[in-house]
Amino acid sequence: MRISTLFLVIGCFAFVSPSLQAQGQVANQPGAAVNAGGGGDYRSTTTENMSDRLFDVNSDSVDMENGSLQWKGKTFFLGNSRLMRARFERYLAAPAPAGDTKRYLEIFSQIESLLAPNVINDKTWATNQQAAFDLLFEAARYELDGESSLTLASQIRKVWEMRREFRDLGVNQNQLDVLRKKQEGIVINRGEQLELANDQRAEQSAKKAKGGALVKSTAGTTELGYRAKDEQKTQAEIVANQTKMTVLALQAQVEFQSQIVQYLLARRYRHCIVACAFYRVMFRSSSQNVRVGAKEVKEFFPISDYVPTLESLDGLCREAINDVAVGVRTTEELFKQGEVFGAFERLQETYFLGEYEPVIQAFNPARKRELLELWRDLRELQRVGDERDLANVDQYLNQVSAKAKDFPAAAVRSKVESAKAASNMQILAAQQAAVSGDVPKAEAALERAAKFWPLNPAIRDFATKAIAHQDVLAQKVPEFDRLHTDGKWRDIFAKRDEFAVALIQDKERLAKLKAVVVRVGEIEAILLQASSLAAQGNPYLAWDLLQRASAIDPNDLMLARTRSDIAPLVADYARLLGQAERLERDGHDAAALTAWMAAQELNPISEVCGTAVKRLAGKVAGAGTAAATTGTPEVPEAPPEVPEAK
Amino acid sequence: MSKPNPLLLALGIPVTVILAVFVLLNLRSGGKFSNLTPFSPETYRKDWATLQGNAYVLACQVDKQLAFVEGSGRIISVKPIENSRGAGLLPVRVPASIKTNFESGQRYNLKLRVRKDILEVEDLENF
Repeated sequence: MRISTLFLVIGCFAFVSPSLQAQGQVANQPGAAVNAGGGGDYRSTTTENMSDRLFDVNSDSVDMENGSLQWKGKTFFLGNSRLMRARFERYLAAPAPAGDTKRYLEIFSQIESLLAPNVINDKTWATNQQAAFDLLFEAARYELDGESSLTLASQIRKVWEMRREFRDLGVNQNQLDVLRKKQEGIVINRGEQLELANDQRAEQSAKKAKGGALVKSTAGTTELGYRAKDEQKTQAEIVANQTKMTVLALQAQVEFQSQIVQYLLARRYRHCIVACAFYRVMFRSSSQNVRVGAKEVKEFFPISDYVPTLESLDGLCREAINDVAVGVRTTEELFKQGEVFGAFERLQETYFLGEYEPVIQAFNPARKRELLELWRDLRELQRVGDERDLANVDQYLNQVSAKAKDFPAAAVRSKVESAKAASNMQILAAQQAAVSGDVPKAEAALERAAKFWPLNPAIRDFATKAIAHQDVLAQKVPEFDRLHTDGKWRDIFAKRDEFAVALIQDKERLAKLKAVVVRVGEIEAILLQASSLAAQGNPYLAWDLLQRASAIDPNDLMLARTRSDIAPLVADYARLLGQAERLERDGHDAAALTAWMAAQELNPISEVCGTAVKRLAGKVAGAGTAAATTGTPEVPEAPPEVPEAK
Repeated sequence: MSKPNPLLLALGIPVTVILAVFVLLNLRSGGKFSNLTPFSPETYRKDWATLQGNAYVLACQVDKQLAFVEGSGRIISVKPIENSRGAGLLPVRVPASIKTNFESGQRYNLKLRVRKDILEVEDLENF
């Protein structure tokens, strides 16, 4: 765990040995009267104040995407979302754990009672620790515990061993101090003796100098040197021993705090509480601040000036336990009200907050099974939603709604319908763009359509049609060319839409198509008008229109058919018009004029006749002289047919 | 005074009336162009080429003027008075030399000459 890398400031000498406590060395510290065990200031309002600051924040929520739980402003990281889902699903499917949950909870209560500040004193300090320690093994036998109590017991045992080692080091330290003092006395004694001897020798030398022999003055210095060296060696051993004790004390403190923080982050609140209780008893009050994992704990509490203490951790755990209990009660109540989806949400939040709480683990298995079914449907619903498989959303929506009446299906359905509509609109835009030949625009619209609804069947249809369109293109161009060459305008007109799509990129052929469509379309309009006039009893006017259509395309089949329909009604008129046209074509303007006038008598409002009469009359009036001055009149090769007036 | 023979009266009066009408009609149709053959619209319509160069008289009623070309002439549409087959409106060309005012409804005896397919008015008289 990362916490092990975060050993920060060294807390000096955190151990409070039983012997020192017995000597009353902590008796004059604050709270000692009720806190003889060396615990923190349990009477203070630290926890309450901290709770007020921490627990007045927003509501709880589970973030499946990030795999975290937001609870009263604090974030539990629960692993990746896939594992979260799997764990919750496993919980819903799992049967209730074996063992007496009530008894299990009682064990933890007993441990807390044994280590309570008002119980711990000089007499009970050791025995209560041992009794609480033994209860941990009993708790570890329950399935609910997951043998976490054994881990705590091991940690406690380790601290005890460290404490014993520390005590041994303390004894050794005392012995070294005694030795060093003795050696120091020896060195001082030897030094003084040497100084005295030297003085005596100096006096004797002075006397002998007047007539005596030389006196030796360095006797005894060698022994003094050895004695001083022994004293220095002992001093070095004392310093090394002190360092070893300091490290040992720090190691014990750090390891235990690591375990406490680990329990909190793992949401094993009850273990965290009893670990705090053990810590208070085993370590003296100057070591109650949480030094280990401070970074993680501060991240857990989003407050800048937060100083983690055992009380804050303890209070947090108790609040979490309480919230879990409330959550389970709420879930039950929602079940009773028939609000299954609400119950599901509350249970999910509560589960991730207090996964290892007995009340969660022992939740009604039948209801868990019911929620498991809902969970699977919800997961499928989410899957189809993530995949934007909107066609199948309805199916799962109905399933979920059938199981949970309070599920907000309408909102989901509304969004689904909106997405479907948006996708279809984009496909429509793509189709229009494709028809107009704007391929990039069509592609962009299709891409947007797929973004809204990737599995939209209309997209597949569009693709199929696009492929078919390519085939049609390959066939339509030669067909158009053949029909155009053969002058089959009607056939082209009948397939104008197909040709328009196929020839959209071919401007030359498109112009030809347009000309054909305009020409045939004009004939069609005239034929329609002529038929209408004939039906109203104006066959002569209808015939005039047909004459106009004939000028556009005399070979049009529909025109020929209509002419044949109307011709019996206007036989004389038609014959006169035919003759007039033929005479005019042959240059017999006056005879043609006579024929036109005869026709006009039959159809006085005929625009065709009126125009022809006006045109030819002017021509004959002006050209009469020339004709008149011509010599022998020419005999026509073939006499014109006779236009007879009625 | 002797009384007229009734039989003579009964036969004489109708014969007299008939003779008078006959004389009157002959006087009217003949007129200025009594020596000309009446124009046959039917023949013209059937085969105008056979009439080329000939002159005819046509008793007709003016319908309207169809065209006028300054210095050349005008085209008048006339309706033959004789109600025979093919007697519909006919276009006749009046050369600029004839200065007559033609009004719709006027009756004329027209001396027509068939020049190519044109019915050219050479002379006319009102009646």
